[in-house]
Amino acid sequence: MISMMQTDFLKIKRKGFWFLTFLGPIGVVALQMVNYGVRKEYLLQQSENDWLYYLQNISVFTPLALVLGIAIFTSFIASIENETNAWKQLISLPVSKMMVYLSKFTILACLLFISSILLMLFTLGFGIFLSFDEAIPWWELVKYSFYPYFAALPVLALQLWIATVSKNQGVPITTGIFGVIFAYSAYMLPDWMIWKWPSLMNQWDEPLINVLLGLGVGCLLYVMGMLDFTRRDVK
Amino acid sequence: MEYIVETSNLSKRFGKDLAVEGLNMKISKGEIYGFLGPNGAGKTTTIRMLLGLMKPTSGRIRIFGQDIKQQRKNILAKVGSLVENPSYYPHLTAYENLEALRKIIGVPKQRIYEVLEIVRLTEVADKKVKGFSLGMKQRLGIAMSLLNQPQLLILDEPTNGLDPSGIIEIRELIKRLPEEFGMTVLISSHLLTEIDQMATTVGIVTKGKMIFQDSIETMRTLAGHAISLKVSQAEQAWRLLLANGMKVEHESGLIMLHESSNEMVAEAVRLLVQANLSIYRVEEEKRSLEDIFLSMTREDSAV
Repeated sequence: MISMMQTDFLKIKRKGFWFLTFLGPIGVVALQMVNYGVRKEYLLQQSENDWLYYLQNISVFTPLALVLGIAIFTSFIASIENETNAWKQLISLPVSKMMVYLSKFTILACLLFISSILLMLFTLGFGIFLSFDEAIPWWELVKYSFYPYFAALPVLALQLWIATVSKNQGVPITTGIFGVIFAYSAYMLPDWMIWKWPSLMNQWDEPLINVLLGLGVGCLLYVMGMLDFTRRDVK
Repeated sequence: MEYIVETSNLSKRFGKDLAVEGLNMKISKGEIYGFLGPNGAGKTTTIRMLLGLMKPTSGRIRIFGQDIKQQRKNILAKVGSLVENPSYYPHLTAYENLEALRKIIGVPKQRIYEVLEIVRLTEVADKKVKGFSLGMKQRLGIAMSLLNQPQLLILDEPTNGLDPSGIIEIRELIKRLPEEFGMTVLISSHLLTEIDQMATTVGIVTKGKMIFQDSIETMRTLAGHAISLKVSQAEQAWRLLLANGMKVEHESGLIMLHESSNEMVAEAVRLLVQANLSIYRVEEEKRSLEDIFLSMTREDSAV
């Protein structure tokens, strides 16, 4: 499994994966840099707790960046194998197909997790730079950085499934675009839609539910995708 | 007899179409097995099933005496393959492409240099495969298939896209493998001349069915050769040979001798010389294997 993942890390070289891993969190924080740069005074008046208000502002764009990133990553990672139909080469090696699938999933989950860590660091950095009056709300910071990640796992599992089994990469790109639109309009979606979850909104107003749902449904979708992948013939 | 590859009643159905039907393939150790058939005959589908890429609709595959269904990983560890177009990662260098496989297979790094040397790509090892010519990509594909020092090498149309010198090179390489490394080779092609120059055994498949499977010599015997003689005064020569009880024909100034044993040819030449006829040429006329192949694949079953 380790060697399989090393191979996958080698394969994503020069494909812009690392660049995107950095770009996502930078983009999200950069939007707030613009926001606070232009109208800091106004924003500070909006709430009692400036740190929390700042975190909430950041978290508006986090789900969008996550879902978009997932769509791009999954489509990229599948296209690396699709490009010269390297699936046949890969699957005719002495590896189990489950391992192949698990490795791809794990790689992407790692990259997104790194993105989340970076998001936390960048958020913290710019927050300190803004020098709010309140103390740094560490727990909230961690929550806003990592909860969306776990809540987005079902989207990752679903997109990876679609991307690996579709011969036509138009299919995962289409579902990816819809995912982004869904994530953008999360506030009007029903609670059961997985694209709403990274926004951490739900009718009970308890973000932890989204995290647990994300982990549970994410596992389920992952297993379904993997089993379907193993079942299929390689063309 | 223990076979390296043995399929029994192997069939694969795509929707309504039977791509492979009741195929019984037998490959013994050390053979170069030429798997021959027109495009779309089911060669690649068969190979995909041998590699566990596709599941057979029915039938059984045993490789190294083990069932592919139960022992897939064990079997594949000893199999090298190149299926259809070579698969590679264009954004990686030749070395990195091999390294990506090496990590999974778990052979020493030294092996990468060895296979690069075998296919003569050492100099471009650190160039991205994107810029390679088709022939170089094909050679890289062969290098990949050799990486795990396989006991069974499965090559699907390995000389596709190669220039003549590349073809000869690959052919020489493939011929060397059984002796030097004790490999058994399965090589598919739609070109008979290709197989004719490499294979020791031939299997011919058309419309998903195996219509011929035997040694290349048997196949050549089927080609049924005749000896043609070009002599002065063909008419006279023909009569002379006929009078001596030989099966000969006279066509357009040539004498065709249908029994071609050494003694018979010698006898015919002696008779002609004694009759003071000049012999210009004695040639063996082969019905080309190409013809046999075509007639076999057209009629579905000639043997």
